Amino acid sequence: MNQKELKELIEFLIEKDIAEFELERGDVKVKIKRGGQHTVVQARAEAPYAAVTVPQAVAPAVAASAASVPAAVPAAEPVPEENLHIVKSPIVGTLYEAPSPGAPPFVKVGDMVEVGQVLCIVEAMKLLNEIESDVAGEIVKKLGGNGQPIEYGQELFAIRAKK
Amino acid sequence: MIFPFLPHNHRIKKTGKTRSTRLSRTKSAAPHEQPTDVRLGRLVRLLMEHATVVVSGTKIAQEISSNRTEVWRLIQQLRGLGVDVAGHPATGYQLKSVPDLLLPEILGPLVRGTIFDNQLHHFYKIGSTNTAAMAAAAEGAPEGSVFLAEEQTAGRGRGSNSWESERSAGVYCSVVLRPALPPSDVLVITLAAGLAVRAALVQVEPRVTVDLKWPNDVLIKGKKVCGILAEMHAEVMRVRHIVVGIGLNVNQKSFPKEIENEATSLRMETGSECSRVEVAAALLKSLDGEYRALVEQPDAQKPILRRFAEQSSWARGKKVYIEDSAPRIEGTTEGLDAQGFLQVRTAQGLQRILSGTVRAK
Repeated sequence: MNQKELKELIEFLIEKDIAEFELERGDVKVKIKRGGQHTVVQARAEAPYAAVTVPQAVAPAVAASAASVPAAVPAAEPVPEENLHIVKSPIVGTLYEAPSPGAPPFVKVGDMVEVGQVLCIVEAMKLLNEIESDVAGEIVKKLGGNGQPIEYGQELFAIRAKK
Repeated sequence: MIFPFLPHNHRIKKTGKTRSTRLSRTKSAAPHEQPTDVRLGRLVRLLMEHATVVVSGTKIAQEISSNRTEVWRLIQQLRGLGVDVAGHPATGYQLKSVPDLLLPEILGPLVRGTIFDNQLHHFYKIGSTNTAAMAAAAEGAPEGSVFLAEEQTAGRGRGSNSWESERSAGVYCSVVLRPALPPSDVLVITLAAGLAVRAALVQVEPRVTVDLKWPNDVLIKGKKVCGILAEMHAEVMRVRHIVVGIGLNVNQKSFPKEIENEATSLRMETGSECSRVEVAAALLKSLDGEYRALVEQPDAQKPILRRFAEQSSWARGKKVYIEDSAPRIEGTTEGLDAQGFLQVRTAQGLQRILSGTVRAK
């Protein structure tokens, strides 16, 4: 989850007036508490977050910290020394690496991709969702298998962002 | 090869515009794309207004700001689309019957008050209405934009499937939607689209019994009369746009050998010709109703799931297998789960089907 997604998540929580939200997936943990005079954002992830401004009328106090949660949970996978960008699925569905059976895959490990380039398709109930890259960079890892079921928010690709 | 059109969307430049008009005409057309000449719509309207008299070529030319040669060409084009026009350049022209074309001039007045009002884009011939709609949506086409074609040269289905789209025989249309919902809440739209088609067919042709097969195949006597393919462009928390493509067989008299056992049309089931305009209008109105309910009513998913289960003979107790599933999934359907996925009771237990073609065992 990058800063933009976090911001969107917070906006969504405000829009739906959700007071408390906690999400834990892999090595990412996000906890957001709204309401009263304070909005607290706690996040610990593979990438440190900068302070996030929360658009809220009642002068929110924002705390964004990469180390404020006690007892650090060891990452499930060895964290690479660099920060890889992770592309996730917005829906539950079936992953397709190619536009049609037998066709070459949209991308391979080692490919350079641009922002907006299609990486794969996740299909649910004949609704095809083209997953695009939101960064430019190199595909380092494919995290899902062709034809495999994908859960909401599941990691699909790791991309080394172009500097 | 149909699907290769899909990845091309990403090359379309995304402008920051949220609205743009005349999308179908201003953008450079794909090889197969023939945006409809605006004068054709005016010509049809003129002939319809003077249905009982012969209108001279000169008068038509004046009214639609053209010349007599062009009028002749347009008349020939109309005839090519199956419109019965009497006369020739020397005598003038007269309509022999109301044309059954999906032109904005004809269909537009029938969809007033819906989200599709004033947003109809018509093509004689197009590769795929879904591809055109996705491209237009990426460029900012507003919600409710409709792309209609008399003929598709590369109509698409799932995977590498194509959609047979004989000229002026069916309704081939794709609509652009921009629901303010997270992607996970929007999946049931594909079920809702099937419900909308079923309702439209039952309204236009009460004689037929229409069934639904998960997720949204529309069947008459077990044969497919309509297929729906939806495409979405979404971020994790937000849908940018969804295109719902609908291919509805109306007046086909037969289908190619490869699909004749699976496909049917309204005409083949009822024995009489049907107004495509009427079908398209009923379809867009019922789609409008389903869509508004989904985005405006809280907890709108439940009634969609309930109605699907009521109207589909496939939802429960049907012995099925999933095509191309490996390992093969087969068993008895056991309703939909809370998200709309089909549940099948197999020897291994209850399985949730995310995608794929359901076939009767």
